Amino acid sequence: MENTHEKCLKLARRIYDLDTNVYQLSGSSLGRTFNGDKEAHISTLATLIYTHPQGHLLRSEIALIGNMARTIHNKAERSKMMTEYNEILKEIEQIPASFGSVDIVDEQLAALNISNLHRQASPDDHLIICIGRTHGSAGTDIGFALADALKINYYDVEIFNQVLERLEAEKDSVADRDNFATKLHELHEALPDTRAKRRVSDFSRYHGLPKKDAVFFNQSDLIRDMAKKEDFIVMGRCADVILTNNRIPHISIFITAPFQQRVRRMMEVNHLEFKEACKLLKKLDRQHEKYYNFYTGRKWGDAVNYDLCINSASYGIKESVELIERMIDKHPNKK
Amino acid sequence: MKKFIAFCAGILATLSCSPLSIMAAEAGSESTANVPLWLCIPFAGLLLCIAVLPLVKAEWWEKNQPLAVAAWSLLFIIPFAVKYGVGMATETVLECILNDYLTFIVLLFGLFCVAGNITLEGDLAGSPRVNVIFLAIGTLLSSCIGTTGASMLMVRPMIKMNSWRRRKSHIMIFFIFLISNIGGCLTPIGDPPLLMGFMRGVPFFWSLHLFPMLVVNMVVLLTVFYFLDRRNYRKDIAAGMRPDISKPGTTIRLEGAHNIIFLVMIVVAVILSGSLPSLSAFQDAAGNVRGIPFGEVVLGFPSIIEIAIILLAAFLSFRTSNPEIRTKNHFTWGAIKEVAVLFIGIFITMQPALMILKAKGGDLGITEPYQMFWATGLLSSFLDNTPTYLVFLTTAGSLGFTEGLVTTVGTIPVRMLIAISCGAVFMGANTYIGNAPNFMVKSISDENGIRMPSFFGYLLWSLSFLIPVFLLDMLIFFL
Repeated sequence: MENTHEKCLKLARRIYDLDTNVYQLSGSSLGRTFNGDKEAHISTLATLIYTHPQGHLLRSEIALIGNMARTIHNKAERSKMMTEYNEILKEIEQIPASFGSVDIVDEQLAALNISNLHRQASPDDHLIICIGRTHGSAGTDIGFALADALKINYYDVEIFNQVLERLEAEKDSVADRDNFATKLHELHEALPDTRAKRRVSDFSRYHGLPKKDAVFFNQSDLIRDMAKKEDFIVMGRCADVILTNNRIPHISIFITAPFQQRVRRMMEVNHLEFKEACKLLKKLDRQHEKYYNFYTGRKWGDAVNYDLCINSASYGIKESVELIERMIDKHPNKK
Repeated sequence: MKKFIAFCAGILATLSCSPLSIMAAEAGSESTANVPLWLCIPFAGLLLCIAVLPLVKAEWWEKNQPLAVAAWSLLFIIPFAVKYGVGMATETVLECILNDYLTFIVLLFGLFCVAGNITLEGDLAGSPRVNVIFLAIGTLLSSCIGTTGASMLMVRPMIKMNSWRRRKSHIMIFFIFLISNIGGCLTPIGDPPLLMGFMRGVPFFWSLHLFPMLVVNMVVLLTVFYFLDRRNYRKDIAAGMRPDISKPGTTIRLEGAHNIIFLVMIVVAVILSGSLPSLSAFQDAAGNVRGIPFGEVVLGFPSIIEIAIILLAAFLSFRTSNPEIRTKNHFTWGAIKEVAVLFIGIFITMQPALMILKAKGGDLGITEPYQMFWATGLLSSFLDNTPTYLVFLTTAGSLGFTEGLVTTVGTIPVRMLIAISCGAVFMGANTYIGNAPNFMVKSISDENGIRMPSFFGYLLWSLSFLIPVFLLDMLIFFL
């Protein structure tokens, strides 16, 4: 089993490398078959080879590389690429199509009696904690206290500010749509500017993308780059999914509390009436859920998406921090 | 609706249950008017090969396409020659190659070459909004430079913009729907059937009558596309795909822009091919178009002029453009080669089907605009839409209407002419072979990392998205 796994992974790497070489040799600027994160593609391909070696999807993916390889102008290079292409096809044909209903793709992940959380990170990886939280659950305070206890950086709105720098955008013109925690009454909506000139300039500034998407993509880049350089805690911003997609080990935590408790906390902290606080909280939850679902395709707050979910009403800020500290104690990156 | 269903059943019954030998009006004479239906088998066989072989024997098909095409063509030519004589067979094949295929493929070749030397450089990221804007522009452009011209010009920028995405085949499918077909309905330059109409007395700007249909189709299809693309765009983002927008600001520049002159040259050539035959200088005493004879078949001077201008434009485009542009555009001969090979087979083997249609078109009992719309459209989905349009135009002209547009084939009510034009132009989008640019876009997409659906897969897309729109067209405009 292990042997077949390795063989599939090796083949997946060869397919990915073939795509890279073919694209380079074709000189095209129109895009290649496997765009995006290398390791993610290799992993997907390996799974496909392992589970459906004779399947249509795998064959058509490889055929796309073949289509491009046939267009290489240099005969010798074309022949080299086609030889590699044919060899890959032959090797795939030799893989037994015996994957059945009782086989498991990732045995490590399926083994519930071992801790996958600590196995996924190596000592070379940085300690990254992603905290998602509902408003009024004191998630921000817990995150801040945890960063203080662990002596690592804490990022929330700072990421958004860096994105603004990258986009060379003025702060008033872009809304921090992931910042559900601060400007309560404004609900984070910058006034829409309908002037044609502004629209054209925005279209150009954000590469034709909607502003919120351009901000999200830049945030993703920043979080990914930061994860390669330092230990940190990041609040929200779909960081857990961004890091998962980029195969960067991290710990994801979700902090919430019962609705009534959160309303009470909002009334205290923000000096709001009960009705007003209820209305606002429901609205914020809806927005938060929509935002998270839009960019990740996942359900916000669903326990299966996190390593740890905490009801802060049961533990309070201090105990929640201690609980998380105990959890990451065994982590290979813990200093 | 009942009338419509009864009509469709009628067409199907006529085409599928008619006796093997379909007799034309001139019964008894051994002319091509009573072509037996079994002679259509090679055409069906070739279509089946195009549909099935890329799925089951992809590599064999890729290597042996010319052989398969030659085999099916011979399977039509030899029995045809046995039944009607070698002379008739030679004439039929020559007529189809010289007068239909040659101008068709030269036009495609010219546009393919010129468009391949233009590139849109920039870092615009493909998102639902940008894609909708691009599709809308391309659709309108189709009426100005033809569906093939617009397709060739827009296909690469579209692929490039969306290269960061994983789910993008639907973008190219809607590209085929809108830019490669529907968009060409506003002028005779847009699509060859309308040019044929222009040559038969339909005024040049009359096709603007089709604007309401175009708007309805564009609005419906672009709305559907937006939501479909948004769904896929979200899935791509959720899977971690993202465009490279690290640099602030977008720079868009057109490289090889001077090729637009050559594009205009080609458009002028197409207009000339439609307008010169009516000039007395190009006609003999009997009113036939003058040209170079190849036995009984004459390659008209207007066609020769068209071919010469297009080839000159392609040559000049290659001579004056930086080869680097072609490399960036991933310009290869693969797509045009595939289309040239497959379509010569399609053009030859579909001759019996066209002969039957010419003979039986008037007997189908089609007298209502909605019937014209569907009959022209459904047949244009598989046959060449130009002769199909002509058959139904002639049929409509012979129905004896006294009010409507006066053409050289008779007076045709405006609503009926609109129905015939819409059917021929719109429904070429139903299959990959319905219109030449469809196949070109598919081939170019296949070469650039986009997994396009198979023949039947594409048919499913058109059944799901186009047929409901055409039903809507019928309800609004043709009932």
